[in-house]
Amino acid sequence: MCGIVGYVGEKRAHPVLVNCLSKLEYRGYDSCGIAVSAGSLEVHKDAVRIKALEEALSPLKGTIGIGHTRWATHGEPSQVNAHPHCDCTGRIAVVHNGVINNFQSLRQQLASEGHILSSDTDTEVIPHLIEKYYDGDLEKAVATALRDIEGSYAIIVLIADEPKLVAARRDSPLIIGIGDRERFIASDVPAILDYTSRVIYLEDGDIAVITADSMAVKSDGLGVAREEHKILWSVGDAQKGGYEHFMLKEIHEQPKVIRDTLAEYIAAGEPVADLAMVGTGLGDMIILACGTSYHAALIGKYIIEGLVKIPVRVELASEFNYSGQASVGNRAIVITQSGETADALKAIKRLKERGCQVEVITNVVGSTASRIADQIVYTRAGPEISVAATKSFLAQLIALYWLALLYSKVDISQLDTLNLC
Amino acid sequence: MKQAIILAAGEGQRLRPFTVTRPKAMLSIADKPILQYVVESLAQSGIRNIVLVVGYRKEQVYDYMGSGEQFGVDITYVTQEKQLGTAHALAQAKGVAEGEFLVLPGDNLIEADAIAEFVSMKPAAVLVKRVDNPVRYGVVNIARGLVKEIVEKPKEAVSNIVNTGIYTFTAEIFNFTESMLDIPDVLNNMIAAGHSINALETDGTWLDVVYPWDILSLNDVVLRRMEASLGGTLENGVAVKGSVSVGADTVIRSNSYIAGPVVIGSGCEIGPNVCVMPATSIGDNVVISPFTEIKNSVIGNDVNVGSSCIIQDSVIARGCILQGHFTACSSQDEIRVNDSYHLVNVGAMLGEDCKVGNGVVAQPGVIVGNYCQIQPLKLIRGILPDRSQVF
Repeated sequence: MCGIVGYVGEKRAHPVLVNCLSKLEYRGYDSCGIAVSAGSLEVHKDAVRIKALEEALSPLKGTIGIGHTRWATHGEPSQVNAHPHCDCTGRIAVVHNGVINNFQSLRQQLASEGHILSSDTDTEVIPHLIEKYYDGDLEKAVATALRDIEGSYAIIVLIADEPKLVAARRDSPLIIGIGDRERFIASDVPAILDYTSRVIYLEDGDIAVITADSMAVKSDGLGVAREEHKILWSVGDAQKGGYEHFMLKEIHEQPKVIRDTLAEYIAAGEPVADLAMVGTGLGDMIILACGTSYHAALIGKYIIEGLVKIPVRVELASEFNYSGQASVGNRAIVITQSGETADALKAIKRLKERGCQVEVITNVVGSTASRIADQIVYTRAGPEISVAATKSFLAQLIALYWLALLYSKVDISQLDTLNLC
Repeated sequence: MKQAIILAAGEGQRLRPFTVTRPKAMLSIADKPILQYVVESLAQSGIRNIVLVVGYRKEQVYDYMGSGEQFGVDITYVTQEKQLGTAHALAQAKGVAEGEFLVLPGDNLIEADAIAEFVSMKPAAVLVKRVDNPVRYGVVNIARGLVKEIVEKPKEAVSNIVNTGIYTFTAEIFNFTESMLDIPDVLNNMIAAGHSINALETDGTWLDVVYPWDILSLNDVVLRRMEASLGGTLENGVAVKGSVSVGADTVIRSNSYIAGPVVIGSGCEIGPNVCVMPATSIGDNVVISPFTEIKNSVIGNDVNVGSSCIIQDSVIARGCILQGHFTACSSQDEIRVNDSYHLVNVGAMLGEDCKVGNGVVAQPGVIVGNYCQIQPLKLIRGILPDRSQVF
């Protein structure tokens, strides 16, 4: 996982990028870098924490730029492997979150065409591919370059002499924040909460051209409109307050999370989602998730089996994608805090291909998972910045209880005596 | 004056059991922590740069106050590891203090009218107030607008003018905080060293809470000044008299009688046929079942009160479950706290998360610790420690 950010507007880009990056440090922190354009590109990067980079930098001019905070996958953490990566001319800079599967063959091909690649990363092929296809139209060059790429990506491209950014995603999250004569691009919402709460979620295959006061999104070459969402999280939700670190803060937030999540379900009056799905009745069911959500799923099995008395199977979404089987008519619950977990998204797509009804439990309104699910149950945990999940796990359990209680075949007043975790 | 340093690290030992789970500054008066009144008063006076010195149960402060944006202020936290005294607490903020600044106790209820004039007072200065019972406080001896001496809790008071614990200082104060643990001692030392300390008298709202039953008198004062705002749902036949505030999503069912001043939080279920009489605060998510009467009391969040209860002059802390026919009548009683005796009119005081069975009768003045369990039909009296079980 890495974090990427972009800014185009009227402010100086440098401090905005550094601030946005600092909010994404949970996505990785072995290296970081920014590129800012003021006619020509200035790139600063190193294998250091964002704070150290910030201290080492003298103020940069330019009101457009991109930034990256890295958790190394291809190539060791080092200055040369840190993002942004540039083309041979130093006019095009790219930040990337994801993994390019065919980067070896692309590297060889680009090298044979005379491109000089200096890092060990998969990312570096992207700016060189864009350079190769660039004939004055950056968007077209990016679209053509991405056709050569196999794998996952969220990228932001900056070119020296044009006041615009080009962003694209496939299987990695990317959002656009809308301000007053300024636009923000980031891997995740907390990065931009200091500046705006108006957000657009890009979808897989989207390519967006973004300037200070406009943005145009294309999918498969055709213009599409992407809905604007209002983020209800406050800046304070994504700040530490007096706590030393986010994990401690989030543990202390747990009573509030239970309260908020339950209050929302109760206030909704009718079930937020139906375990039986529309008109299908209740049968056996599978729950898929990764990481901490998987552990919520394991408890969910006990909750649903104990209360509803139907068999429940729990699998890691990542394993299910390679071997698991779902039969037609299966109901499935997929749990993903961010709604962007790559393996969970893949599992949802796979389940839907088999004709399964998929119910998603997620914490992020407008996330990819929420868009492709048949039914959605939102948890109200607020932004979880700590990598170790705490409050989101608890909120997921509340959601599972809530779903199961509607179909409970046991006397609720005896709930305390049941062994339901 | 742009900055205020609020001292909110103290425990408030004499307020147990209510301060076992939270610092004194976080005690709720009329559905708001004391600290929030202080912060809001500062914001109203245009002071938005706030330093909070926290210590005892500091997480409670973090969770509620956050970074301050909800209250329109910017909060920086400083920790006082051991609660040694007010001067020691202030000294912890040495690194973040800027220019001229205000110092206030976070656990005294201060309203904007009390500090409106004082915020432009030249340091060093003390805000003083006339009170009826000065021997509880630091009595200030003033001559020609300057402080001559502060005498803490004198046997006999020379005047009824007392120290509110609200000061203006510059960084110079930190030259004196090393040798003394409490601010009044520091001031006496400064005076002795030839510094002049200004005094300004206020007639604004400044209230201190020292003993559990003080919560009731503070609640009364604040409720009487509060403006009504009706949210939630009132069913047919609910009578509302006087100043009554009701939070969002609260339902008050038919034939209930609410006589203000009363504040009821959000998400509550009240009635049918419930009487809530004057000077009562009810927190969030509280359930009050039919035929219960509550008068001059403070009910915390998440409390469940059964049917046909009588609750007078009582404080029921967060999360208590009282089953039906619980009786807490008020009368005059002598209560002992830390070897001193106090004659007060009071009902029952229950700590957090107590479970009280059907038909329990509480003797006036009973103080029940946190997490106690009391079986049905018991008579409770005196002081029950935390986690007591009454069979």
